[in-house]
Amino acid sequence: MSVQDLILGLHRFWGGQGCYLAQTYDLEVGAGTMTPDTFFRVLDKRPWRVGYVQPSRRPDDGRYGENPHRVQKHFQYQVIMKPSPADIQDVYVQSLRSLGVVLEEHDLRFDEDNWESPTIGAWGVGWQVLLDGLEITQFTYFQQCGGIDLSPVPVEITYGLERLEMFLEQKDDIYDLDWSADVSYRDLRFREEREFSEYNFSVASVTMLKQAFGACQKEASRLIAKDLLLPAYDMCLKCSHNFNLLDSRGAISVTERVKMISQIRALVNEIARRYTAPKEAA
Amino acid sequence: MEFLLELLTEELPASHIRSALDQLEAGFRKELADARIDVASLRTLGTPRRLIVAGDFAAGQPDREETVTGPPMTIAKAADGSLSPAGRGFARSQGVDESLLGPIVTPRGEYLGFRRLAKGTPTAEILMAAVPRVLGGLSFPKMMRWAESPFRFSRPIHGLLCVFGGTPVETSFEGFPATGATVGHRIASPGPVTAANFAEYQARLEKGFVVVDPEARKSMILAQVDAALGPLQAQVYPDADLLDELTLNVEHPLVVLGGFPETYLSLPLEVLSTAMRQGQKLFSVVRDGKQLPLFLGVADAPADPKGLIRRGNERVLRARLEDARFFWDQDRKVRLRERAAGLKNVVFQEKLGSYDDKAERLKKIASYLCDKLSAAEVKADVVEAAALCKADLLTEMVKEFSGLQGRMGGLYAEQEGLPAAVQRAIYEHYQPAGLDDDSPSSLGGAILSLADKMDSIVGVLGVGIQVSGSSDPFGLRRNAHGVAKVVLDKKLRFSFPLLLDKVLNVYGDRLPLERAAVKAACLDFFAGRLRFILEKRGFRYDLVGAALGPGIDQLYDALPRVEALDSLKSSPQIEPFILMAKRINNILKGQPAAKVNPDLFVDKEERDLHSSFAIIRDNAQPMLARGDYARAQGIIFKIQPVLNAFFDKVLVMAEDKKVRQNRLGLLQSIQKMLLGIADYSQVVVEGDRQAKPRASR
Repeated sequence: MSVQDLILGLHRFWGGQGCYLAQTYDLEVGAGTMTPDTFFRVLDKRPWRVGYVQPSRRPDDGRYGENPHRVQKHFQYQVIMKPSPADIQDVYVQSLRSLGVVLEEHDLRFDEDNWESPTIGAWGVGWQVLLDGLEITQFTYFQQCGGIDLSPVPVEITYGLERLEMFLEQKDDIYDLDWSADVSYRDLRFREEREFSEYNFSVASVTMLKQAFGACQKEASRLIAKDLLLPAYDMCLKCSHNFNLLDSRGAISVTERVKMISQIRALVNEIARRYTAPKEAA
Repeated sequence: MEFLLELLTEELPASHIRSALDQLEAGFRKELADARIDVASLRTLGTPRRLIVAGDFAAGQPDREETVTGPPMTIAKAADGSLSPAGRGFARSQGVDESLLGPIVTPRGEYLGFRRLAKGTPTAEILMAAVPRVLGGLSFPKMMRWAESPFRFSRPIHGLLCVFGGTPVETSFEGFPATGATVGHRIASPGPVTAANFAEYQARLEKGFVVVDPEARKSMILAQVDAALGPLQAQVYPDADLLDELTLNVEHPLVVLGGFPETYLSLPLEVLSTAMRQGQKLFSVVRDGKQLPLFLGVADAPADPKGLIRRGNERVLRARLEDARFFWDQDRKVRLRERAAGLKNVVFQEKLGSYDDKAERLKKIASYLCDKLSAAEVKADVVEAAALCKADLLTEMVKEFSGLQGRMGGLYAEQEGLPAAVQRAIYEHYQPAGLDDDSPSSLGGAILSLADKMDSIVGVLGVGIQVSGSSDPFGLRRNAHGVAKVVLDKKLRFSFPLLLDKVLNVYGDRLPLERAAVKAACLDFFAGRLRFILEKRGFRYDLVGAALGPGIDQLYDALPRVEALDSLKSSPQIEPFILMAKRINNILKGQPAAKVNPDLFVDKEERDLHSSFAIIRDNAQPMLARGDYARAQGIIFKIQPVLNAFFDKVLVMAEDKKVRQNRLGLLQSIQKMLLGIADYSQVVVEGDRQAKPRASR
């Protein structure tokens, strides 16, 4: 099974569960949770089911293509089910079986792990799912997002596609994975990892990034005032990515770090508050 | 009759299971006691998906006689002694024969009434209400909601099995009606399992690959570990916490013995065990105290016939060890001294500068402490260690395994061949990480640990960051506990205020807050922390308060002071002495300082008191200077009879101002001497309880 077979398999499975199969969001994000298909859709009361692949950028995890397990960009398969179905654990187990994993021969564990993302004011309770000791999924009952208590409660299931694929292909090096029958992960990603690691750690302009952070922050405030919440949220995502790059450049002190995260969170919380506020009659 | 309850849930954290089982036991015991149901046995068991209560209770409440009263006799009986209409009405309404009615004597007078035998309520009926009450009362350190309900629990609930005397109790919890059924192991045997009693439940679930008794699971793990390691003549590296946690992480333990390539054995033990334990909850395997290239994992599965679980874990561990070896090799290419230069670019705290600035400060503070502790022989090594101890923050290994900070620096120092005392001081300078962690074994490590922690505390408080209940961003409490623990464990005596002055001097102009304010904040913070630590060691809160009363000039002295008080707490001597101390305090309240002039004494008793006091003070002085408070206290206690006589015969507040001032002056000297040991007025004694209630903390 190749990475793309895995993606197709998950699409088929979650499509069968009534999920709308979204396309990847076109901005840099640290996790699938941050895209509007999750962030905005978990806030309101409306039922929502979605599945999508999202590249996740974590500049600090770059290893110049030299580490067989760690990359500055990896792929997540993100599922949101709102409200959380009563049998969601069974459904999840079923999804693994649908990929051909004979669970009777393995050790599947739901291991306590409570997730939080201070940047977008979100946290939840759940597990990391381990398969023979390998973390393949983050499984979370969202409690809060954008600082708002969520009701109904959504469940978020995030598969780490490379991890799962390494398990399925029984391979020890991420670059040896097959993306398709004749394209390898190395073909697609190796040069990208090398160049971006160089950029993330050594070349990215700190001055430019700091300016960009400030500019996007300002723009977000301006857009919030005009009630253009989706564009404002995009600006917050850009802030977040600029912040991550500054961090990997080693240009942020501990206190600055706390300050910048809380600046983004304040904007995101305000967006969430306005998004969920009862609409005034026109 | 037998009672069995199982709440089926999604996977609970181990700590939540432990807490829930305690709460369930206490909750059911209380409900049953309140309902007067006899309990022959009651115990709790659990797995990650099940909270279980099994017991043997009486079938119902015992029957009991009760008295029913009606109208007063004066109204209930007619003049001729027969029942009045009111009396007959009472009989009718209660459905009792009139002949059974008679007078009942109550404190309010005689009433018409009767006695009857009330049938006890059946236990099953009591349980109907008790079960949802006990389950609904469970609380967890972190709770969650799910789906569309506002109800909060540790993890979502999936079912309630609850049978009493073989039949399901007519109750429900959060929409789940009690049944006589549950399910087996999530993967190995997910089908339904029914049970009418505990023996059946246990046996049938065992067939469904669920071992419900944690103790049985622990035995299974230990037996399998023995079976795996016996032939190898190897032992598991003991880790009781990990064993307990794994016991609560699985429903059917399967011990898996795996290996890793021997080449990784070149890694330090600290690194190997951190990679195994923290990452994957694996046990290390040793023979004669030496690490073997083996590990033991505990899976939740019936068996691993194809070895897939073992191979999967081996693959994950190998990846982690490969990372670790890469870090170890990379890190050793740069000497700590060169690496330390990079600390300039690592911010410790925005206003407090970089870790390079911190290292410069540590050199000065550590050097000062060496002088004060007469530790000249380690001074050069400690100062060198101070310069290097933060360098490991820049190593890849510490970036990956932050728990290894300090220890990693020590190991790299060893690789470089730095002097043993330097290695040791670096290795130990983060210790103790908390009150339960060991203090550094070496004096150099202890000194560097103190310097590092004091630098952080003074600096962070000095920029105005407050520590509150929920907010302690720089872990100042942990740091202060570390300082106190090192001082107490190592019996280090030095002037704490002077150390604060030194640290403040070293910071110079860097701190935005005023020096006196920072010093006061530090003293206050440490007094609070010492109070916490001493109370945690089991000393009574009022004795701790009294021991801290004289201040914390010597951090260490708080301990012998409170021990001295503690040794006397049940002595008959103490109460009159404490009352006397309180009396002195009350008399002196608001009085200006006065001088003693022996020529102004009028009465014999005050002259006696003055001369006894002089002798006692001179005798106690050297012991106080040594910090031998138990001895000093014994001597000072001897003032009691003369002081008693003084209070009996002498009027302190004499008419003549000079005489009065002189007597007040004498009492002030005595008060000062007592305060050299403790503020005795803070000790709570019987005769004082009502007069001065003290809020317990």
